[in-house]
Amino acid sequence: MTSTEASTGVPFTLNGEDFEADNGELLIDAAERHGVHIPRFCHHPRMKPVGMCRMCLVEVDTGRGPALQPSCMLPVTPEMKVETESEATKQAQDGVLEFLLANHPLDCPVCDKGGECPLQDNAYAYGPGESRFVEEKRHFEKPIPISDLVHLDRERCILCDRCTRFASEVAGDPLIHFIDRGSQTQVNTFPDHPFSSYFSGNTVQICPVGALTAAPYRFKARPWDLEAVESTSMIDTAGARVVLQSSQDKLVRILGVDSDAVNWSWLSDKDRFIYEANTSENRIVEPRIWSNDTHRSVRWTEATKVAARALRIDPERVAAIGGARLSLESQYAWTKLLKGVIGTDNADAQLGDGIPGALVLGVERATIAHACQPGSVIVLVGPDPKEELPTLYLRLRHAVVEDGVKLVEITPRATSLSELASVRLRATPGTVGQVVNAIVTESFDQPIGGVDGSRLRAAHRLLTSDSPVTMVFGRSNLAESARYIADAVGGIKRLREDAAFLPALRRGNVHGALEMGLTPGFLPGAVRNRRSVFGNWASTPDFEGKDTDGILRAAVAGDIDTLVLLGADPMADFPDRQLAEEALDNVGTIIAVDTFLTESSRRSDIVLPAAMFGEHDGTFLNLERRLSPIRAKVTAPGLCRPDWMIAAELSLAVGPDLGFASLDELRAEMSQVIGSLEDLDWDALASADDGPIIVPRRNWDLEFGDPAALPAVSSYGFRLVVDRKLWDEGTMIQESASLAKLAPRAELRLSPADVQLMELSNQTHVTVDQGEVSFDLPFVADPAVAPRTAWLPARLPGFDVRRLLAAGRSITNVRLRIPDHGESDHDGGSEVRHG
Amino acid sequence: MGYLEGFAVTLRKVAEGVTTRNYRGGKGGRSDQKAPKPPRLHGRHVLNRYEDGMEKCIGCELCAGVCPAKCIYVRGAENPPEDPKSPGERYGYVYEINYLRCIHCDLCVEACPTEAITETKMFEFSFTNRSDAIYTKDELLVGDDGKPKDLPWEDWRPGEDEYTSGWMRATSPSGKAGFEGKVGWSGELGYGVRSPELGQSAVEIEESSSDGSDEHGGHH
Repeated sequence: MTSTEASTGVPFTLNGEDFEADNGELLIDAAERHGVHIPRFCHHPRMKPVGMCRMCLVEVDTGRGPALQPSCMLPVTPEMKVETESEATKQAQDGVLEFLLANHPLDCPVCDKGGECPLQDNAYAYGPGESRFVEEKRHFEKPIPISDLVHLDRERCILCDRCTRFASEVAGDPLIHFIDRGSQTQVNTFPDHPFSSYFSGNTVQICPVGALTAAPYRFKARPWDLEAVESTSMIDTAGARVVLQSSQDKLVRILGVDSDAVNWSWLSDKDRFIYEANTSENRIVEPRIWSNDTHRSVRWTEATKVAARALRIDPERVAAIGGARLSLESQYAWTKLLKGVIGTDNADAQLGDGIPGALVLGVERATIAHACQPGSVIVLVGPDPKEELPTLYLRLRHAVVEDGVKLVEITPRATSLSELASVRLRATPGTVGQVVNAIVTESFDQPIGGVDGSRLRAAHRLLTSDSPVTMVFGRSNLAESARYIADAVGGIKRLREDAAFLPALRRGNVHGALEMGLTPGFLPGAVRNRRSVFGNWASTPDFEGKDTDGILRAAVAGDIDTLVLLGADPMADFPDRQLAEEALDNVGTIIAVDTFLTESSRRSDIVLPAAMFGEHDGTFLNLERRLSPIRAKVTAPGLCRPDWMIAAELSLAVGPDLGFASLDELRAEMSQVIGSLEDLDWDALASADDGPIIVPRRNWDLEFGDPAALPAVSSYGFRLVVDRKLWDEGTMIQESASLAKLAPRAELRLSPADVQLMELSNQTHVTVDQGEVSFDLPFVADPAVAPRTAWLPARLPGFDVRRLLAAGRSITNVRLRIPDHGESDHDGGSEVRHG
Repeated sequence: MGYLEGFAVTLRKVAEGVTTRNYRGGKGGRSDQKAPKPPRLHGRHVLNRYEDGMEKCIGCELCAGVCPAKCIYVRGAENPPEDPKSPGERYGYVYEINYLRCIHCDLCVEACPTEAITETKMFEFSFTNRSDAIYTKDELLVGDDGKPKDLPWEDWRPGEDEYTSGWMRATSPSGKAGFEGKVGWSGELGYGVRSPELGQSAVEIEESSSDGSDEHGGHH
């Protein structure tokens, strides 16, 4: 990983042949690189060596005579002589395996790992064949659930330390550990603390035996009836590389692929187990039309005809929201349909919870590797990466812990990275732009946004050092305007001309959607609509469109007749639920292209069933602008179609044909029309280790205005912080049986100081008064929250915090007080009054 | 007139008589006696139980994995803790054999780690549609008495259902060829327990099948 090239190589002899190892390279890795496999259990290339299992013993002579040494703990030294197939090595391997199998139960036929088990493989390849052990084996209670997703069978465990090392070193959730000693040593959780890590599924993947098994995969298939294809996770914008595995045309497992550029083989549990939604009974599998107060199943021809009629109107009265679920190809097809055929510019892939498209498209993009290079500085102005971009979180965490990367965190509440940050600036909502501005202008005299001068100075010192600076930015708070984040980006840009940026947007392929022009004012390739000829398109929109906020407002005003929901659920995702509801009620025709009947698609007049992740081929664009393949593994159920096909069908019915009838033709046109894809070898994407980074050929420059002034102080003394958790009431999560129950209940979080100050300590609920509405909510004291702020993630069961938000407010102030009627037995979200 | 030579060949062969043997037995046959069969005949399968009624199948899919005809479909599921179907964590939730594909090679029997699947000597079964050809778990599973189910389209004779065990392994345990004179494994629920198998010379098979007194072999 961090090894240098062979020019400074270390010469050594392996089984009589001379090779060169990299400086500091471990013997086991050097041997592997030169084609000699040394058996191992505990060694993992992405974790630090421990030498637990002793399987990798080889005979090493460093001049003092041959001796058995664990090759996973031994860096190659000059003139080392290594024998991996000598009699002594073989005897050692025999012995180690006999010991490991002494207590390992032979229940391989019922074990999920049977057939792909390193212990089985090594026992066959290197084992003695027969055991001399006739005594009773060690017994433990058969699998115990150590979390909702992972089962632990301690009898099978060979104590390799992989899972425990992963939990503490990689994930930073040291929730499992060895307990007891001697023959009773076992892995276990701490009492009453389940292994509820977002990354628990990785331990199942790296377990070299069947000790850890995944609850959703348990007994679903056996390794030999799995078919596999490499793809890219569409759960978040990191674009983790995955293998999709299916049995009997059903997705049954997702594994992480070791992509050097992105996820290093790790996945979040959401990436790993979300496939359960594919086989949910609630999938929409046929087109539906709303008639006589119910949805009626119809044929595609009829649905297309009705939808086309609704789209053949004044383009300014047509709008589309969403598109992050789509592949890059589908996004292009839909943009061409909306902007090139219908002629509307009202298209936005973000739902008012992101960052303005121009900012995302305009900043210099960093790669994850660039951000994480040893010695660099990362500025985080955005959501908690662990909650919204878990695989990126693992890379950032590794960089800070292992590679000396300095982290400057400017967030309204403490994140999972706060403990590791060099400088923590707890900027209250609405102040982040001014806080960054104070760093830029070196105004350290007075505190700003709750941050005192010494911290600003510390941040300034780090940011102006020689180290490369990468800014990870995103919406840290849905209750404040994205304007402030833009100001912060502008500030960092002014401070460091060479700064690079990683936009930490949450939703799937949203970067692809923006790049393909599903944002107002843009056309595919991140070029601004100059209202002139574009590629082979018949026309381009002759007006500047609206974003989601604008579209919904226009809909309320009666200016939108047809609204297309491209996998979007504004009722559930747009920060202002009331506006979304009124808008959907006011639109003439809603066309939903979706996989499930969400709150929004339930209200639509035409529902077109789309193929889901794993059911269509395409391309993904991640937050680094890296292309990687999305591949189909299973057949889409019923009449579901890939989104680009739906666009092509609609176009045929609306007006001029889109001009492509296959994915290859579509890709050919994209290469022709989009400058950054000109030389792309689409077929090579599927086999590339790390996909290529595309560089858009922009015809515009990004401009930043002056930062917005601090919001006025309000008599409503608390500022609301609203963000997202990994587990919430999102549609895909709720449709995955194993994940649906993981979302925590909504609880307002307040700083311990405020709880004390307001004398709330003997209360369970607090009344949150926003002026227009107020609610009684359960609360907890949480040191992660800054004073005078109240934090509540959106879309949690129990209470929809979006009821306190309204679009257009720059920040959301609330007043807190002890509930009038004292103690009550409600569990949250009961409305007290309408003001 | 070269074709006459061809006819001559045909006529000569007709005169030589029939070399194929008629299947004599079965319902509607010339006699109601079944034809004697070799002692190692592979018939239709059964799924066995333990003495306590538990199913032996643990749904490991090794039989399906090894099947060269891909005729076995198995799905495992977690044993319900309060009403376990088999000992251990998993049981065979779905078990189907498609007899239109099965070539009766017995590799499934050899692969089975729990001796759950074995083959009977039942040879006289046929079906009139494709779905009947797919035996489900219910049809394959032996009854509480350990005997295979007598399905309407099968011709079971008294006593035949006692011979269901795994004597018919093509290879011996541990790969050792010299397993003559040893009992391969025990029968199910006391049925099919046999005396050790004798030598396998062709002469002996010929004798045992020609006298017709012992259709199942092994009982010498």
